[in-house]
Order: sequence, then C-alpha cells, then structure tokens
Amino acid sequence: MIRMVAVRLALTLPILLGVSIVAFVLMRALPGDFAQASAGTTAISAEALDTIRRNLGLDQPVWQQYLVWLDGALTGDLGRSFATRQPVTGELLPRLTVTAELTLIAGLMALTMGACTGLASARLRGTTDWAVRGLNSLLLAVPNFVVATLIVLLAGLYFPTVGIFNYVAFASDPLGNIASLLLPALSLALTVSVTISENTRAAVLEVSSQDYVMVARAKGLRAWTILGNYLVRNALTPVITVTGLQLAALLGGSILIETIFTIPGMGQYLFDSIANRDYPAIQAIVLVAATIVLLMNVVVDIAYARVDARVSYD
Amino acid sequence: MVAIGFVMLAALLAIVILGPVIAPYSPSKTSPGSLAGPSAAHWLGTDSIGRDVLSRLIIGGRGTLLITVVAVAIALAAGLVLGLVSGYVGGRVDQAIMRVLDVVFAFPVFLLAIAVVAALGPTLQNLILTIAIVYTPTLARVVRGPVLSVKRWDHVEAARSVGVGEFAIAIRHVLPLVVSPILVQTSLTLANTIFTVTALSFLGLGPPPPDPNWGSMLAEARQFMELAPLTVIGPAAAIVFASLTFIVLANGLREMLDVGSR
Repeated sequence: MIRMVAVRLALTLPILLGVSIVAFVLMRALPGDFAQASAGTTAISAEALDTIRRNLGLDQPVWQQYLVWLDGALTGDLGRSFATRQPVTGELLPRLTVTAELTLIAGLMALTMGACTGLASARLRGTTDWAVRGLNSLLLAVPNFVVATLIVLLAGLYFPTVGIFNYVAFASDPLGNIASLLLPALSLALTVSVTISENTRAAVLEVSSQDYVMVARAKGLRAWTILGNYLVRNALTPVITVTGLQLAALLGGSILIETIFTIPGMGQYLFDSIANRDYPAIQAIVLVAATIVLLMNVVVDIAYARVDARVSYD
Repeated sequence: MVAIGFVMLAALLAIVILGPVIAPYSPSKTSPGSLAGPSAAHWLGTDSIGRDVLSRLIIGGRGTLLITVVAVAIALAAGLVLGLVSGYVGGRVDQAIMRVLDVVFAFPVFLLAIAVVAALGPTLQNLILTIAIVYTPTLARVVRGPVLSVKRWDHVEAARSVGVGEFAIAIRHVLPLVVSPILVQTSLTLANTIFTVTALSFLGLGPPPPDPNWGSMLAEARQFMELAPLTVIGPAAAIVFASLTFIVLANGLREMLDVGSR
C-alpha cells in the first residue's frame, strides 16, 4: 500500500514540475514588461523601473528566476500581489476555501442526482430509462453559465423578493452560508450529474448481470436487500471514481459561476487579478488549481486501488 | 439517432452559411425602441440599444461556430499526429509526448483557457490557438489507445513483412481503424468547444466587439433580462441547440459505429 502511494506520487511529481513551468512561463511570456506591469498604470522613470527589475530579480537569467519562484512556491510563498502589495498566499487561501466549499456542495449534489437517476434508469428500464437518458442528453448540452443565468432570470421574474446575490460568510452564519451556495451549486451540478448518471447506469447493469446477483435472486432474497447489499455496494466504486475525476470540471466551472452569483471565491479573485494585471496572483491561482486537480486524481487512484484489489500500480 | 444529428447539423450549417442573406437586419443596425418585445418587424424583439436580436443571433452564430470549428480542426490535426506517432513509435517518444500532454491535461480546461487568453490578450488568433491547445491532449489520447493495439494486428504485421514502409503502414493500415473513436470524440469536443468559446465571450475574453457572439450577447443581456427575457433566452437557446447538435451526433455515431462507451 505505502509502496503504491509512493509510486503514484513519484509519477505525479514530474507532471507537477511541468505544471509549475507552464504557470511560470505563461506569465513571463506576456506582451509587455513584467516590471512595468508591477508598477501599475502610473508613468514611471527608467531608473525606478530598473530598481523594480532588480528587486523582483528580473535581471537574473530566466532559469534562475524560475528556481527562486519555485523555491518560494514550495514553502508556501507565492509572491506579492501587484495590486495590494500583500502576500498572494494570504489573499488566496480564504477565497480558495469558499471555492472548495462550493465545489464540494456541487459534487455532493451531482453525486446524489446522478446516482439516483442512474440507478432508476438501470433498474426500472423501459420508460424511466428512456426519459432519464433523454433528459441527460439535454442537460449535457446546457452549459453551467447558461443554467446560472436562467436561474437568475427566473428568480428575478417570479421570486423578486428572494435575494440570490446575498453571499453569507460561513463564520457569521454557517447555515445561511450553505443556503446561499445552493443555487450556484445546482447550476454546476446538473452537467456533472449526467456523467455520474451514465456511469452509475452502466455499473449497475454490469453488476446486475453477475452470477452472484442471480444466485441472490434465485434463493429468494427480497429486491431491496439485493439492491442494497449487492448492487449499490458493488456499483459504487466506479461511480465514486468518476465523481472524483469530475472535480476538475467542477473546479473550473465554479470559477465561472462565482462571477455570476458574486461569490467571493477564487474565480472572482482571478478576474480581479486579470483586470488589475496582477500576474503573481494569476500565476498562483493557475498553479494551485492544477495542483489540487493532480492530487485529487492521485487520491482517486489510490482510493480505487484500496477498494478494488484487482488494481495494481506496481 | 445519427439521422437526427445530421438534420440538426444541416440546419445549423444552413443558418450559419446563409446568415447574411436570411438575417432580416444588419446586426449592428439600431432601430428606435430598445428592449422591445417580439413583433412582426423584430421576431425576437430588440436589445438594450435597439438592435434586432434575431439578426444578431444568426450573425453571432457565424463567429461562434467559426472559432469552434477552426480550433477543433487544429486540435484534431495536432491530436492525430501526436497520438499516431506516440502510439505507433512507442518507447521513449511515446513517454515524452504523453508526459507533456499530461501537463496540459492537469489544468482544468476552462482555467487554462482563461489564463492563456488573459495573458496573451483576447484576439481571435489567441482564442483559437488556446482552445486548440486545451483540447489536443484528449484527442491525442483517443487516437493513441487504439493505435497501440491495432499495430500488433496480423494485417499490419503482414504489411511489414512484405516490406511496406512504416509511414505507409501508419497511414494506410492503422489510421482507418481508429477513425470511429476519433469521429465520436471530435463531435464531443465540438460540443465542449462551443461551451468554452461562449463561456470565454460571456466573461469578456472572447473575440473583440463589434462582432456579435452568443456568449457576449448573453452577458450583455443579463443587465436588462427581467425587462426583455427574450434577449437572454435567445442566445441561451442558440448555445444549447448548437451543443445538443454535436452531442446527439456523437451519441448517434457511437451507436452506428459501435464504439465502446468509455
């Protein structure tokens, strides 16, 4: 087990390194000057620009700049924001928690919806199956920002008294906080639930055709017992894996949804940073998001191997 | 299923190609009466500065679909070459290509697209290039998988033993067998790209104005949507129809060509 975790992490390391290079190069390959951008929009003398360049280490060779930046990133120092002059890490963390919470709620919603519709589709067959699959095709075609816009439109037209832009901080009112994230999470969850639903359906159909289910049925176990003890349990593994892998899509999607529902998460931070040309912040967001996705994939792989003894990474 | 997909695709293409002919107005022409409801003169009403919503939808579809198709074509070409080389040559070359693609794959698609477009500037070329880069890994993987197994089949072995060149084998004997999964994946990628293009435009990172575009239309309409719901529903329906077209097409192709579902 430990060996497998080590192998899996070792495989991820070069990818992480590549990700950090992309994040670094992306922001240094900008049209225009990094030093000029850090000075903001104000006109600035050539000498002052030189000082900034020295302070930021821009007079060093590029590979050295990268190593300095990487060294900082490894110890949690992602540089200072151009806009606020504060350490980026401190600004990013509270926003990251908000985005993580939204992603988590959306993930749970998608899992619940997808598992229920997929199970119904596989067990009841006939009209239900047909309806679920049709609905899934349609849902897949509606992008999350369109869902979000339509939710805002419907709320504005029919429930004008319900405030949907009132984000509540978790610290001040935990329940209100979760409630304020439900609609944004729903717009994220719909598309993702389709993938989960289709995979649940396939997994349940696969398990249903296994011999041990037939034996259980032949010896007269009740349908509910078979469902609970055999079908759900065995079909759950692939379903949870798929949900884990969908977290990347959810994370990318929440960036978009946050701007629509004015939730102070990573997405809003990203857009503020883009508007301010705050390159260290953009760099940090890209790096952190990709790292989370990579680690998530490792966790999913490990969890999968832990549950399913047939999987081996040696 | 696949027939429905092709009918929808034909309708989409007809609207896009005949756009300037069938659009009742110029997309930038303003008329008195902004945010008007549907009428005989303006079937879907007008937007906040009095432009005809239907005309803007028709012309906006050209911009949206052009970017989508060109970007996916580039991604497909790159994915084909990379996947074919990777799967066919194998060994170190395969490792190197796949690790680089893994890095691109590690970023949430949408986040990478935003970051690249924001860094390079939201021009048409950058937008197309970004989307092509973002979707290349998926297509390359879809090509590589079947190539790995097909290259060990007997007819490939037979061609090699009678002295057919490696390049000719790859093109003539391996490529045709991976066409089905590629068609399905390309269709799905087209649907995803419509999402990415319209989402980027929605955020103001799309092609610069004045060209109308479904994403930016949706964003502009949000301010006044309670007064004129059609200004939002129009572009929303257009985006859904376009992605539904490619999803239905992908599902149909998968059934018809009997490609195992992932």
